[in-house]
Parts: sequence; structure tokens; C-alpha cells
Amino acid sequence: MNWHTVYFLLFSLTACGFALAVVLSSNIVRMAFYLVLSLGATAGLFFLAGADFIGAMQLLIYVGGTLVLLVFGVMLTAQSPFISMKTHGGDWILAAIVGGSLLAILMQSAFSMPQWRVGPATADQATIATPTTTIVGEGLLGVRVDAMADASAAQQAGVLSGYLLPFEIVSVHLLVVLIGAAYLARAKRRRVLREAEA
Amino acid sequence: MGLSATLPTLLGIAWLLPLASFVLIVFFGRHMGSHGKGAAYVACGAIIGAFLLSAISLCGWLGEHPLSAARYEAATEGGELAKAPVEGVAPTEHAAAPPVAYSGDWYTLAEVGKLKISIGWYIDALTVAMFCMVTLIASCIHVYAIGYMHDELHEVTDHEVKLSDGHPFVRPGRFHRFFQYLSLFSFSMLGLVISGNLAMTFVFWELVGICSYFLIGFYFERKSASNAANKAFIVNRVGDFGFIIGLMALFGAIGTFTFGDTKDADGRVIARGIFSQIRSPENGYQLAPPDGMVKSAAADKVGEIVLDHRQMGGEAAAQSEIASEMNDWRVDGWGYGLLVVAGLGIFCGCVGKSAQFPLQVWLPDAMEGPTPVSALVHSATMVAAGVYLVGRCFPIFTQEVLLVIAYVGCITLFIAATIAIVAVDIKRVLAYSTVSQLGYMMLSLGVGGWIAGLFHLFTHAFFKSLLFMCSGSVIHACHTNDMRRMGGLLKKMPYTGYTMLVGCLAIIGTGIPFVAGFSGYYSKDSIIAQTLSFTNHNPVHRILFIAAAGGASITAFYMFRLWYMTFIGKPKDHHVYEHAHESPKVMWIPLVILAVFAFGIGWPMWGLTNLLEQARPAGTLETVKGAIIWPGLEHPGEHLSHEAGIHVPASIIAFSTALAGFLLATVFYAWRMVNPEEVKNQFSRLYNFLWHKWYFDELYNAVFVQPVMFVSRRIADFDKHVIDRFIDGCALAVRGISTIDDTIDRWLVDGLVNWVAGVIHSTGLSMRRVQTGRLRQYVLLIVVGTVALFILITFFRSSWAG
Amino acid sequence: MNLLTEPIGAAHYLAVGAVLFVCGAVCMATKRNALGILMGIELVLNGANLNFIAFGSRLLHADGTPSIGLDGQLIALFVIVLAAAEAAVALAITLNFYNNHSTVDVDRADELKG
Repeated sequence: MNWHTVYFLLFSLTACGFALAVVLSSNIVRMAFYLVLSLGATAGLFFLAGADFIGAMQLLIYVGGTLVLLVFGVMLTAQSPFISMKTHGGDWILAAIVGGSLLAILMQSAFSMPQWRVGPATADQATIATPTTTIVGEGLLGVRVDAMADASAAQQAGVLSGYLLPFEIVSVHLLVVLIGAAYLARAKRRRVLREAEA
Repeated sequence: MGLSATLPTLLGIAWLLPLASFVLIVFFGRHMGSHGKGAAYVACGAIIGAFLLSAISLCGWLGEHPLSAARYEAATEGGELAKAPVEGVAPTEHAAAPPVAYSGDWYTLAEVGKLKISIGWYIDALTVAMFCMVTLIASCIHVYAIGYMHDELHEVTDHEVKLSDGHPFVRPGRFHRFFQYLSLFSFSMLGLVISGNLAMTFVFWELVGICSYFLIGFYFERKSASNAANKAFIVNRVGDFGFIIGLMALFGAIGTFTFGDTKDADGRVIARGIFSQIRSPENGYQLAPPDGMVKSAAADKVGEIVLDHRQMGGEAAAQSEIASEMNDWRVDGWGYGLLVVAGLGIFCGCVGKSAQFPLQVWLPDAMEGPTPVSALVHSATMVAAGVYLVGRCFPIFTQEVLLVIAYVGCITLFIAATIAIVAVDIKRVLAYSTVSQLGYMMLSLGVGGWIAGLFHLFTHAFFKSLLFMCSGSVIHACHTNDMRRMGGLLKKMPYTGYTMLVGCLAIIGTGIPFVAGFSGYYSKDSIIAQTLSFTNHNPVHRILFIAAAGGASITAFYMFRLWYMTFIGKPKDHHVYEHAHESPKVMWIPLVILAVFAFGIGWPMWGLTNLLEQARPAGTLETVKGAIIWPGLEHPGEHLSHEAGIHVPASIIAFSTALAGFLLATVFYAWRMVNPEEVKNQFSRLYNFLWHKWYFDELYNAVFVQPVMFVSRRIADFDKHVIDRFIDGCALAVRGISTIDDTIDRWLVDGLVNWVAGVIHSTGLSMRRVQTGRLRQYVLLIVVGTVALFILITFFRSSWAG
Repeated sequence: MNLLTEPIGAAHYLAVGAVLFVCGAVCMATKRNALGILMGIELVLNGANLNFIAFGSRLLHADGTPSIGLDGQLIALFVIVLAAAEAAVALAITLNFYNNHSTVDVDRADELKG
């Protein structure tokens, strides 16, 4: 048992536990909070796996942005009857069965491949992580520095391109989404609504 | 050009002119003049043109063959003939030569084996005379008809035809159609006269029959008229049946239809006609069955000889033996029967056409046609066609046939005369008179009086058409046919009255004996003389003479009865009398013309008998003996009747009988000394018998018409109840099958399709329920799908990978 | 126990990721609140992210075995970004829905039922 394992267990149990709490909780506000914690733990798992940049982004964007947004939404719609809505018991059982079967399958397949259960040969390798920010940044700009070394000449030529295009697409996508969301959620004139109702 | 070329041309054109008129009127009649009046002028022009051509032909004929003393003076002294011709003996010196006749063909229609059907001519003096007579009378009648048919120029209201609502029938006028039919009739009659072979005669025989049908049924909307037309045609057809049998007998035995010989360019005979074969020059123009007939009759014997010779000599030997046996067979009478059959057959046709007993029933009904039709067709021409044919075929009639003809004529003249006594329709009286006079002609021909019979044909044509036209004039003025409503019309219609008087005098044979007389006097005289001569030679047939003389008396009676009832005395119906007026000029001028002819045509100075004598068939001049079936029958030669021993008693008897009849009629109807009504009541049974025309119509109705109607009704019932039921049953069966099909289609096929659609619909409906609209369920389903996919991939990966 | 003592490999991360995923799926299937469903979506996406990170991590696989390397991380990055975008849109929809129907109960949003 090394620290890697300990930290792993810590973060994973936190993440799973709070995820479960999200499921089991009926209070929307509490669900939001548990989700924050769960996603934070996930970010820790990211760090553990050597993806420091991604972990940081998780915390920044996901937890700090998306979930905040979610909390805002909770806030806007938090009226007393909506805060805790009970689900039908039958639905719980059905969900549990389906979820359980899916979980079983996923677990079974996760542990089925021997290659996935083997870590690096040396213990040093298991804990030393190189910073990936630069590499990810360079990759986003179109240069795959991490694959330069063990790429053949052909691969270097054209196949091994960067993430420039997806980067740009995502940027535009975000723009579109922003505009769309802003339009969708605009304030409607009350008068029109009242006329429609009359 | 000699007569042999010009005569056919002239007469041919004269014959075809009415045909051209017919064709023109058929196509353009309605547009000729106003309401078709021009059609009359076209028709009259054609027939007058034909008359002029006939007159020119007559002049041409007389120029070439002038009228001399009768040929018979140069003939035999009445010597007897050997009963059978002897081979190798030259014909007797005084045997009568064949008449001058031109024959030839215009056009050959068909030549099939021996049969040759052609359009040709046989022109002798009789033909030329007939042409003149027919065209002259037809011209007069055409002109007369312009006036008589005036009604048809505008809309006609026919009071004899009642519509279902009781109103009289109104129809447009048919003026041009009348002249169309008249033209066609003229063409047919002239064709019959000129025809050169029996086939062509038969064709035109039928044509005049159909024209008669058209003309009688001119007012065809009247049931009586259409019935009468049917009756005329059908009764004629019955006669034609016999005609065809006669034709077959002749053709089968002789092999040709042509009357005259076919000559080549030099005048030598190539093929013999009927007359030459039956009365061959070698035989002295005596009647003998030709070789063909003998062979047909003795076919068994011929067959034996051929069979015999087949083993021995062969064809030629057989033929020579047959030829040598031929005369013996002829003497034995082989082939004679066939000749008799042929003659009787041809006479059958004449019985039908000339309304002799027993086929006389159609002529009185034929009076339904307009009066010009009665005048032209049913007095002067068509009915005369029968007599003409008997006259034309006289050479081929054996003595037995001639005797039959005589008896038929005798019976006819008596029956018709008695019926005419009681008839009250002015046209019916004249119709029966026609039948009776035709009987006279047949009687005359039957007793050997060839000239007498044909002479009477000519004179009768003139005075009978005159009488009919006068009656038409009376009918036109009085609008009624019934003599009981007439009377005293002489003052109002002088022209009609006096011309009719001329006609009546002519028909009864008025004249001063041995001096002069009307035309009928001469012709009737010669008939009675010949009959007396015949009965002197064959006393057993005395009844013929008695009937002839008695008939003359009755004729006088009913003719003057007619004249008195119409023109003399007090008018019986004032309305009719007021209305009566003289006819327009276009109507009474033809009357006057015909009256002149009726008066004078018979006079010896014109020489009609001499003209006819030129056409006398060969070998008919002498007294004929040698009948095989009734041996001992003797037909005296016609010249014998001119001897004083016969002629004087005959004239006296004829005159006295006519005078008796005339006086009787005068007593009854002019002086009114005896009331005819009382006589009628006294002899009511006899009167009824005569009134109903000897019940001939009832007899024929019962014997012929009713059985046919019975059979037709049975067949109609069979058709209605059996055949129609069957057909209806089939239709019902088909309907039933179609109903079943429909049910199957609707229940099974449609049901199947609808069921499939329904299943799909309900499936869709139930599948719709998957879309609940509930989000969470969708999520669950996604997960379920994922799980399923996982399972599939995991557990069945092995089978795919392999 | 073997699971606990053996060195951490990708499989363990996958297991965690699976748990997160299933939790998220169940959350989506059971929550009546629209925002609850959104939270389920976040969980699902995170579970997927974990998988990617695990496969792309140099530390979790043996040397010489093929791995997706940096691709995994970058994919995870893009997922995060896209999740943000999608959350924004979903929130906008939810708010719109709330403005029109005055409720966030997804069981009321069944007008598309067939």
C-alpha cells in the first residue's frame, strides 16, 4: 500500500459517495452541494492520474463555472414545492435494476482486460508525473510535442496533427451556445403572456 | 342499218328512259320544282319520249313489213298433220313460216356451264305493238296523275288512319315518290315485253310485282293498303313458284332460256332457242318434245343403253343407238309429260300475275292504291303481262295445257262477273271486270284463238284504263268510292260521264253486227267465234261457249249498272252531289284521248289484227290434233272461225247477250221498273254468297293464313317461354355468381386488406404508447438499450469474430 | 482484497468511472426536478472523463503497451468545455420551461406524448 493507492481510495470513495448522495438526496440544493464535492474529488483523481492541466480545468470550468451555473438555476427556480420532489417507489426499483445491471456489466468489463490492471514497471514511474500544461497547450496550437519522438517519418509529415481544428470548432460552438442560451432564456414580456392566457 | 340493228336500239332507249327518270327522281325528286312537282314532268317526259320512240319503231316496222292480207290465207288448207313426225320427210309445203323476229343480246351477265344469263331482246310485231300500247296508256296516265295526285303536293291529312289519340294522321306529301314508282314500273313492264329469254322475263316479272307492291301500298300508313300490298305480292309469289318449276323443267330438258335462235354474222343458226327446239323446222313447226326432253324423261332407257355399250362399242355407238331410238320414244310419249309440266308451270305464273282462279283474290284488294295505279298497273299492263306471256309462250304449250288454260279462264270470268254484280265500290266493280276480261283472254288463248286473245288484250287495255281513270275522276270529285252515294252526276261531270259511257259501250262489245262497232265489239266477237269453233270441234267442252256467252251478258249488266248508278237518276247523297265538279283539264284530256282509242282501235282499217298476225308463232295456224294425254282433242285453226258457219252465229249470240244484259241493267237502274233492293232480299242467300266474293278470302284465311298464324304463335310462345326463360335463367345464374363474387370480394379480399391495415393501425396505436413524453422514462430506455447492446457484444462476440 | 493491494491500474479508474456513470444515469432516471436531471448529466460526463483520463495516463499502464496518451486528456478537456456549453443550454431550456409552465417538474412536460 503506497500513498498512490491511499490517495486513490480517498478521492474515489469521496467521488462515489457523494455521487451516490446526489442520487439519494431529494433536496435539490443539497444535491447541488454534493455534486460540487463529487466533482471536486474527481478533479483530484485527475491529478492522481497525471493529468494536472485537465484537473485544474475541471475545477475551474466544471466546478467553478458549470456547477455555479447550476446553482444559479437552482436558486432561480427554488420555490418551496420544487425543492424536494419525491419520486415514485416503482421508479426507484426500476432505476435500481437497470442501473445495477449496467454497473455489473461495466465492472465486469473494466476488470476483464489484464492490460488495464497493470501499472508501470518501476515504482518511480508510478508516482512521477510530468507537467502537461505546455504539452496540452502546444497540442491545442497544432504541435504534438509528446509524440514527436516516437513518431515515424510518415507520421510526422501529416497524420500527427494537433488539436487546432477541434479547438476552433469548440470556440465557435461555445459562441453559438452562448447566443442561443441567451436568446432562449430572455425575459418575456408579461403583457404578451397575459393576452395569450386571455 | 337494217331493222335488226335500229329496232333494238330504239326500243332499248325507249325501255331505259323511264329507268333514267326513276334514278333522277330517286335522288333529286324532292328538289325538283316546288314540293317535288318537277318529278312529274320528268316522269311524263320520259314516258312520252318512250312513246315517241315506240311510234317511230312501229313506223319503221311497218315500212319494212307492211301490213298485208292475213298470212293465214297462204297457209295450209286446214290439212291434218301426221300424228308424229316421220324421219327424212320434208316439211309440208304450206306449213306456216316462223314470224319475223329479231333477237339478240345486249349484255351477258353470266355464263356458267350451259347456263347463259343475258339481257337481250326478242322483237317481233307483238313486241312493237305492246310497246306502243303500254307507252301510250302510260303517258296518258302519267299526265292524268299530275292532276289526280295534286293532294300530295302539300301536307296530307289521312282520315283513314287514326292515331292513338283519335286524331287523323298528318304527314308530308309524297308527290315525287309516286312518279318515281310509276317510272320504275314503266321500265319493268317494258323490260318484260322486250325480254329475249325466260330468265330476263322472270326478273322483270318480279320487278313489276315489286312495283305493284310499292304502288298499292302507296298510302302505307293505312292498314288496309299495306295488307293489300302484302296480299298482292304474296299471292303473286305463289304463282311464281309454279313459274319457277316450269322454268326448271324447260331449262333442265332444253338447256337454254332464249326465245329466238342465236345467229352468227351470216345469219346461220348457231344455237337454237326454245321455240325452234320445241317446234323445229324439220318437224314442220309442229309441237314435239325436243331431244333433250325425251332423253330426260326416258333417262332409264338411256342409262340401259349406255351400260350395254360400255362393254361393247363405247360412247359413239351408244349415242347412235340413242338417236335411233329417240323417235320411237317420242311417239310413245316420253318427254311429253315434261313438256306439259313446263307449260303448266309457266301458266302458274300467269295465273298469279293475271289474277286468274284460284289466285284472283289479290286484285280487288289492290284497289287500295291510288286510281292511276289501278288504271295503269291493274288493268292495262301488269295484269296483261300474264296474258302476254301466255301469248309469247303459246308455241310451247301442248294441247292439254291449252285446255287447262281455257278452263281456268272460263271459271275465272264467270266467278268475277257474278261478284261484280253486287259490288258497290266503283273501283271494285272495275277490278272484277278486269279479272273477268282477263279470263276471257285466257279462255281465248286456251281454245286456240291466239289473235283473238291478244287483240282483246289491246282493246281491253284502252277501255279499261279509260274506265278506271273516269272512276278516278268521279272519286276525286265526290271523295267517295261508294256508288250508293252517287247518282245524277252526268250534268255535273259531262266529260267524265260521256267518256265513261264510251268505255262501257266498248267493254260490252257494242256494235252493229257485221257492220261496225266499238273496239270491244271486234275483239269480243272474235273470242266468241273461236270458242264456238272449238266447241263445235270438241262438243264435250260446250260449257266453255255457254260460259263465254253468259259472261258477256253479265258483263253488260254490271257495267251499265255501274254507269247508271253513278251518272243517272236522282243523287242519293246531296252533300256529295253539291261537292261534285268536273276534273281539271289535265285530267279529262287523257280521258278523251283514251276514249278515242277505245272507240276506234279495233276497227279493221287500222289493221291491228294484221299486225298481230305478223307475230303469229310458227305452226299455230292449222288445226292441231295429236294430244297424247287426252287424245281426240282438237284445236281448230283460227282462220276457221272467220268462216260464215261459225262467225255468223257467234256474232248474233254475242250481240244478243250483250243487248240482254244492257236491257236488264236499264230496267233495274235507269227506268227503275224493278227495285234492285227487293231482288236482293229475295235472293239474300245468293246475294250474300256473291257479296262475300264466293267466300274465297274466308277459305284461304282458314286453310292457309290461320295455320301459319297458329304455328307462328306456337313458335313465339316457345321463344318466349322456353328460350327466353333459358336466357333469363342464364342471366340470373350469372347474377348469382357475381353476387357470390361480390361477397367474396367484399368479405374475403377486402376483409383481408382491411384486417392487415387494422392490425398495422392497432400496432401503431399500441406502439404510440411508448412515447409517454416522460423524460425519465426515456433515460431509462437509453440505459436499457445500452445494457442490451453490451450483452449482445459481450456474449455473442464469439460468433461474429469467428 | 486483491483489488486493494495490487497497484492501481486503469481498471480501477474505470470502475470509479463506472460508478459515477451509473449514479448519473440513475439520477437522470429518477429525479423529477429538471435541475436534478442536469446534475445527472454532469455525473455521466464526469464518469466518461475519468475513463478517458485513465486510458491516457502514462502512469496507469505498463511500458510498451499501447495507449492513447495525450489524446485522452485532450478529449477530456473538450468534454469539459462541451459539458459547460450543454449545461448552459439545458439551463436556458429549463428556465424557459419554468417561465412558461411555472414548474420544473419534468413529469409535467409530457406534451410530446404520442
